[in-house]
Amino acid sequence: MFAARRIEYVKTLLKKVGIDPARLEMYNLSAAMGPRWAEMCDEFVDRIRNLGPSPIWLASRKQSEKGVTEQ
Amino acid sequence: MIVGKQKPFDEIWDMVKGFKKVLVYGCNTCVAICHAGGSKEAELLASMLRMRAKQEGLDLLIDSAGIERHCEPEFFEPLDEKVKTYDLILSTACGVGVNFLADRLAGAIPVYPGINTSFYGAVPEAGFFVELCGGCGNCILHLTGGICPIVRCSKSLMNGPCGGTDKGKCEVSSETDCAWFLIVERMKKLGTLEKLFEVQPPRDWSTATHGGPRRISLEHIRAYEAEEEKKATLTGEGK
Ligand code: SF4
Ligand code: SF4
Repeated sequence: MFAARRIEYVKTLLKKVGIDPARLEMYNLSAAMGPRWAEMCDEFVDRIRNLGPSPIWLASRKQSEKGVTEQ
Repeated sequence: MIVGKQKPFDEIWDMVKGFKKVLVYGCNTCVAICHAGGSKEAELLASMLRMRAKQEGLDLLIDSAGIERHCEPEFFEPLDEKVKTYDLILSTACGVGVNFLADRLAGAIPVYPGINTSFYGAVPEAGFFVELCGGCGNCILHLTGGICPIVRCSKSLMNGPCGGTDKGKCEVSSETDCAWFLIVERMKKLGTLEKLFEVQPPRDWSTATHGGPRRISLEHIRAYEAEEEKKATLTGEGK
């Protein structure tokens, strides 16, 4: 599947810019798989929680804090 | 087509990090086909650079744009004014495009290469590119069954295989077909094998890069263009 390969490729790009590729995932499911969908969402939310804030978010916060102190 | 590969990201980052306003400028012809430097790739690269800049706490504005070709002046025109507002152009065109744009900007803004221009090649299957011509300026494919010994033989041998040819594979790499094996097999099929016995004069390499920068001038077209321009000036419609 082309989309799945592209996701793998984007993961390599994220790694290059210092972002954990685990922050991106592709899941397959049909429209009739409500419970599985909920499971996946929980799984992914747990994963992101464990990984903590993204380096981009941390950098933005650091920058805005710096802005506040400078003011 | 011209085939290229994006430079390692860290190398690109080192090039751009000292600037304030960068345009990643893609070319939508050859380098877009090889997924290295079209508008899409320029956009992706700009986004990666922005992520890196953010993490390093650098105040860097990085945009992207793309045009159909970086090797003819008229394609640049619509974006000329925009381009001039940046302090670095990171071109993802081939080396021709980088040179051409750098000449056009004449030292006003630096133009850096985002890709390594690799070879003239074809796309036998999606995502796979092979070198088939070295642009030597003196083609001999009529003598070699349509297979170029200059770039398809690892040693660019001009007079038959070396001693390392091994059941159709090249001694330099078992993944590479021996060009001379291919040439002989092809010429057998074409019924032209005897052509290989003809003694060829020593090759003139001055038509390749050994003779300085190469140019081709089509006088009839240039003369016509000059005349048209003259007419336009006389009738007051000069550009
Ligand atoms: S002989 Fe020269 S022009 Fe012809 S394919 Fe080979 S490198 Fe290209
Ligand atoms: S094995 Fe064939 S392709 Fe390889 S260097 Fe020798 S002649 Fe050239």
